[in-house]
Amino acid sequence: MMPPANVEGGSLLPQDPDSPKDLLQNGAKEQVVPAPCDNTMASEGNVKGTNGTQQKAKPAKGSNDGKLSGKELKDKAKAEKAARRAQQKGGQPGQQGQPVVDLGPEMQKHSDLKGPSVTGATSAQKFQHKRTGSASGGFQKPIPFRPAQAHAAPFPEEPKRENKNVALFDHLYGNPRRTTLAGASKDVHPAVLALGLQMRNYVICGSSARCVATMLAFKRVIEAYVTPPQNSLPRHLTTHLSSQIEYLVSCRPLSISMGNAIRWLKVKISEVDVSTEESAAKTDLCNAIDNFITEKITVADQVIEKEGSIRYEMATKFKVIVVDSRPLFEGKNLARALADLGIEVQYSLTHGISHVIKDATKVFLGAHAMMSNGRLYSRVGTALVAMTAREADVPVIVCCESIKYTERVALDSFVHNEVAPPEELLIQGETSSPLLKWLDVPNLQLLNLMYDLTPAEYITMVIDESGYLPPSSVPFMQRLSVNS
Amino acid sequence: MAVSSPNSMPTPPPEEPSTPSHRNDASPPFDIVSTYNHLLTTDPLLTHPIAAIESLISLLAASPAATISETLSLLSTATSTLKSSVTNPIAISAGTDLFQRYIISTLQQRSSQDARGKSRKHRAGGAEDFRAIRGHLLTNSRLFVQRAKEARGKIAAVARKFVRDGSTVLTCGRSRVVAAVLGAAADENVRFNVIYAEDSIPLSPHSTDVVGELRRKDVPVAVIPFAAMASALAKADFALVGAESVVENGGVINSVGTYQMGLLAKSKGRPFYVVAESHKFVRVFPLDGHDLPIKQRGLDFSTGSGDGGEHEEGRRKSVGEMDVDFTPPELITAIVTENGVQTPSAVSEELIKIWY
Repeated sequence: MMPPANVEGGSLLPQDPDSPKDLLQNGAKEQVVPAPCDNTMASEGNVKGTNGTQQKAKPAKGSNDGKLSGKELKDKAKAEKAARRAQQKGGQPGQQGQPVVDLGPEMQKHSDLKGPSVTGATSAQKFQHKRTGSASGGFQKPIPFRPAQAHAAPFPEEPKRENKNVALFDHLYGNPRRTTLAGASKDVHPAVLALGLQMRNYVICGSSARCVATMLAFKRVIEAYVTPPQNSLPRHLTTHLSSQIEYLVSCRPLSISMGNAIRWLKVKISEVDVSTEESAAKTDLCNAIDNFITEKITVADQVIEKEGSIRYEMATKFKVIVVDSRPLFEGKNLARALADLGIEVQYSLTHGISHVIKDATKVFLGAHAMMSNGRLYSRVGTALVAMTAREADVPVIVCCESIKYTERVALDSFVHNEVAPPEELLIQGETSSPLLKWLDVPNLQLLNLMYDLTPAEYITMVIDESGYLPPSSVPFMQRLSVNS
Repeated sequence: MAVSSPNSMPTPPPEEPSTPSHRNDASPPFDIVSTYNHLLTTDPLLTHPIAAIESLISLLAASPAATISETLSLLSTATSTLKSSVTNPIAISAGTDLFQRYIISTLQQRSSQDARGKSRKHRAGGAEDFRAIRGHLLTNSRLFVQRAKEARGKIAAVARKFVRDGSTVLTCGRSRVVAAVLGAAADENVRFNVIYAEDSIPLSPHSTDVVGELRRKDVPVAVIPFAAMASALAKADFALVGAESVVENGGVINSVGTYQMGLLAKSKGRPFYVVAESHKFVRVFPLDGHDLPIKQRGLDFSTGSGDGGEHEEGRRKSVGEMDVDFTPPELITAIVTENGVQTPSAVSEELIKIWY
């Protein structure tokens, strides 16, 4: 009985401070430092879950007013989704009993605390029973789900589960990534709708690719845009874009390059003369976007390629070691592409870095962003590679378009980062992994960080479209590229 | 050292025509290389970049170029001729790049002014305009050279404050800026000692004799071989060196041994100051000492199979050839230029300002 109590402590602590003392103590034992964080952010999902049951209780009481109906629908959908998830979980033998035991007292407590009405409590119980039923049904015949949906919850919505957020990174979790188009604003252009899901599923991945795809999608948004009557394009188009951006953010947080490009686009829109004819203004903006992509990404990449390849003038024969990492394995494509070009390629994972670095004479890194203190913000594992290279006295060269420079300063990887759904760490198709049922295992948390920060001391040189720079000159170039 | 690395002084002065810059009568085109060498031999205070700039100015004055594009192409061919004439073109390119940027910006300014003037006054005759531009360019260029020459004094005024009473300075090489800084401190009656690490390359008549100059000013100087540097460092308060070129990441290219001094100073926690005029900043970004755009002999491996004399000869030669090294920016505490004391990372910003 002890483990369930512990589990309850984790999730209960944030939402009702009046909960029994033994639970509080359990919670306190579990998470020492970041308890205040728990209260503010982490339990969002849990709170929603609780509200859901309460609002479900209200109609049963018969004291409902029309105002709540929209919300209700949403809550209902959520509850159903939770039920499905429980069912899926229940599908694993030996575990199915647990949700019932867990949920019962929890619900009871909430109805005691919040609603004096007995009907509320019973309806919650009913809801519970339904879940139990479906869970046991799932036990008999597990219903297959698409993995993308199964991955939907980075942390559980059932109120009684342990908080699966890693406490140190609690502030980074935010809302779970959007998995469906449901609930997207009707203003969102189909191209943007598609783009959001593509980015969410890493079909479009990488800072530059996402930036280009976003700008192209926004071009289509602008093409399809009609200024509503009694509004002007420079004023209204920005808000129209904002709803597109909001949707994109709900799929995956924006990259630095996207942020820079969007800022640029908004300035461009605000500079449009109000008296300009709408079609002309739209054409101008589309052309500007095309030029932007050409100038900041396409040509910049060509220049960087040229500058980088100058380093190989003397030794034309070279070998490439691609160091890749889980879970995205983005290096596989690179390795294949290089091999197809006839270059000798060695493929390795990051844990082999201390061995393969002995064969390397130069380390080339890509960037998600360069911070204003010269630090490199890139895919998690980059800092390890750079540090190992520095230790081995191998020059570390970062290739980075100036669109990726940001005026932000970062000192560590904790404050700004992106937490991807932890389920991605599980190996797809594996049936017997000890991590498979990690959501049900107490004290087990998975952390899937996307980025890390490489100190400027590990970086020998940055190559951008204007030439070679030491990392310390990044803020200077950033200011130049913003002003120009 | 900036002046007198032997490899960039390939021709002894007597072989040179006495005044190559005035050979306007000669039908063959102006000889940029001999002008450059002549300038270096006649004026021992001249640095390589400034000698290169002065040669280009003389070229401009002697050339019959009548259009802007002709001038620019003339300059670029002369520059590449000049660079190919020496084994270490980095110092020259510091000067020629600077001059080229200067010319281009001046021409742009002038031509935009002229365009505005023309639209008002309908002046005819582009050739006359160009002559005016060229005259302006030449007078300003001489001013530019003048200022660059004054830079050393300014550096000495700033950097002598690093030399305090009772301190011991470790230095090496033949930098005139170092000599000027220490000389200025001696003139201020600062009592200090100097440890001078001497390389094996013999003093040429044009190189600065730092030791002699300082001893003449009653500064006590201890001359040590490079091999004794680590043990002598314990008695030094800081290291002070000049530079042949300062590269984009803030590292310096200087006579061989400077890197070694930087490494030792860093490991012993001694400040390592570089004194250099800002016209020595050059747009080169080496990743390490073997990444320099110089045809260096590098390491010359040989076995003992040849006869002893030849072997000895070969060894000495290879040391002389590998005559500069690269000190990375993380070893440098500060770079003192005529604009003040700067961190190595400021060099890149200065260069970007010139180029953009």
